[in-house]
Amino acid sequence: MAINLKPADVVVVGLGAAGGVAVLPLARAGLKVVGIEAGTWMDPAKDFKADEIFNNVRAQVTTSQKANRELPTFRTDPSQKAARRGTQHPMMNAIGGTTIHYHAQSWRLKPWDFKTKSEVLKRYGASYIPKGSTIEDWPLSYDDLEPYYDIVEHEVGVSGKAGNIMGKLDPAGNVYEGWRSREYPMPPLRTSDYLEKMLAAARSLGWKPFRSPAAINSQPYKGRPACAYHGYCDRGGCHVRAKNSTCFSTIPEAVKTKHLTIADRAQVTRIVADSNGRVTGVTYIRSGQEYFQPAKAVLVGSYTYENVRLLLLSKSKAFPNGLANNHGQVGKHYFGHWDAQAGAGVTALFPMDLNVWYGAILSQGVVIDEWADDSFDHSGLGFIGGASMTVNMEKHPIAAAAMQTFGMAPQWGSGWKKFVHENAGRWTSAYIQTNSFPYENTWLDLDPEVRDPLGDSVIRVTSGPKPNEAAAARYAQDKMELWFKAAGAVAVTKGNPAGPGLSTHTYGGTRMGVDPGASVVDGFGFAHEVPNLGMIGGSVFGTSGARNPTLTIQALSWRTAEHLVKNWKSITG
Amino acid sequence: MSDEITRRSLIVSAAFVPLAALTSNAQTAAPARALAASERKILDAFVDRLIPADELGPGALQGGAAEYIDRCLADYLAAEKDSIVAGLHSLPEGFADLSPEKRDAVLTSIQNQPFFNRVRRLTLEGMFGDPHYGGNVNFVGWDLIKYPGPRPAVAPEDQKMGVEIKPYHRSAWGSDHNGH
Repeated sequence: MAINLKPADVVVVGLGAAGGVAVLPLARAGLKVVGIEAGTWMDPAKDFKADEIFNNVRAQVTTSQKANRELPTFRTDPSQKAARRGTQHPMMNAIGGTTIHYHAQSWRLKPWDFKTKSEVLKRYGASYIPKGSTIEDWPLSYDDLEPYYDIVEHEVGVSGKAGNIMGKLDPAGNVYEGWRSREYPMPPLRTSDYLEKMLAAARSLGWKPFRSPAAINSQPYKGRPACAYHGYCDRGGCHVRAKNSTCFSTIPEAVKTKHLTIADRAQVTRIVADSNGRVTGVTYIRSGQEYFQPAKAVLVGSYTYENVRLLLLSKSKAFPNGLANNHGQVGKHYFGHWDAQAGAGVTALFPMDLNVWYGAILSQGVVIDEWADDSFDHSGLGFIGGASMTVNMEKHPIAAAAMQTFGMAPQWGSGWKKFVHENAGRWTSAYIQTNSFPYENTWLDLDPEVRDPLGDSVIRVTSGPKPNEAAAARYAQDKMELWFKAAGAVAVTKGNPAGPGLSTHTYGGTRMGVDPGASVVDGFGFAHEVPNLGMIGGSVFGTSGARNPTLTIQALSWRTAEHLVKNWKSITG
Repeated sequence: MSDEITRRSLIVSAAFVPLAALTSNAQTAAPARALAASERKILDAFVDRLIPADELGPGALQGGAAEYIDRCLADYLAAEKDSIVAGLHSLPEGFADLSPEKRDAVLTSIQNQPFFNRVRRLTLEGMFGDPHYGGNVNFVGWDLIKYPGPRPAVAPEDQKMGVEIKPYHRSAWGSDHNGH
């Protein structure tokens, strides 16, 4: 029997990138907020180490049993039986969620990303819309979201250099970005000799390079120290708290208000709806006991896969096919990001030691946006979109020695040893992120066979081919090769853009839109069919942009929470 | 929600907690090893040819790569022990006593097999990983590839090109920990 708890005003499911931000405006408004999180607090001094085996080989920081037990299955064609690939879920459970080990890239999407369909129709015509895509304009514009980007950049703490303040362009920043109301709260992280070399090479090609925006402190910020550039933040947490994971930034601020109660080590199993089609709370399991947490509104921010799964599992009289799914849209318009994990990487060998051992992963980086979004004329190219390209610092020794040999040496023995002795410090790779879109051939549903230990179906990913994205990724790889060679690289290899599997960059499934027949939530993130249910996270995105999603997730989460506060009476009825 | 309560509840209820929160607090016991002496001898002879000792310095055997693998198979990779042992036994009788050239010929003949690639991968982890796990003895792996070690803080000068950076010979687990 479930134990009934005292009612809350708002339940937030998941305290990661999305929920970890949404709780702050809710708690500041004085609402009684309960945050339910499967993981718990991590201790920077004890749990985070500068150790490649601990972080990357054994995944000691990121391995979460709850996430792994609900690992989705995957297939590339509906005729196949879906199967699990590996055992490790891309996301982790903890207070702070995957912002503990993320690269902290903190990008705003471009104005074009929010209205890709109408812009493509206007500039190129209907034949340029990728075949089979279900792309629609977002129900909000960049201008609508700009104030929330600004709030989150300052609340979380983001380092960077503006390229467009109120329309005034500055080539020290990204001149291709949308307008911003003011400068970043902190200057960008520093460069290095290697990054200066890449900056100069980009300029020699006539390009406009700039430094990565990052939720990593370039100087002390809000009582937390500046980055020490020692690295080991990939698949690990920051032991000095210079990376602004939500467990160090917004969640402690929300705790200070005394209006946030955290239920940790708790797994939400169902979102409960009444016969009028309104949610009344959630059930969760903690230490083997089931609880019912009543609430006047529920915000679901658990990650794309689990957001969709929770809705599909939460069947009721009013929603026999899953919560908010009477139009059959839950799970549709799902897509993954075509990035380095999807085969879009480029690797280069230089004739000198680069000394890229240390740094702050992608966040101590230099970026080119010339070949992303609609920054260039696509006439006759056969694809829309493109990719951002980032070169960066930090390389760990096992990964360095496991380098490819560019056809210049054997794979073992003295010949190999001589090769890595000379070249382990001379190679590097670029991170390429391609504009990705939703398609009819790609969706999420419940796997008919595979279940978690509670007996609930896991998510099944069906992900079909996308020639547009493959072509855009290859186009960007060729530009990346030019850039590396302009900097003096002696060998360059390019991955085969084969498409995303499970990743930390997945989108859709509870898409935002104006049409309940083509989306699940409205422009504020609230379900068309369930007025007091809000969805937060990448699952509401309609396009990916050519860059990391977290800051946009956080800006949207803040906006959804603020909308709830401002419309409390009409939403909670 | 005091730290003390959080830590205690975390240890009691392991179910949802990242492994780091459990393992980083574990007391360090004497490391267990998985392989019988005869099996370890074959593994020693194997890794010795993957990264040989030569004019560039010690190889994988001296660097403790086999020790790293032996400890992994008793602990983190216990589930893989049987397949690795079967692979070692699949090598020709007397492999460990063959000349370097003859061992190279055997390894060349299997170098496209999953077993070979798995041992190669584990050898890289042992040679170039943190010495805490029994490999990279005296930091010979890091010195081989000129990795200057995990520093607690990195100055701008430490990210310059064309300058020799003084190696920082420390494990992330202790200032003078070398795994032995």
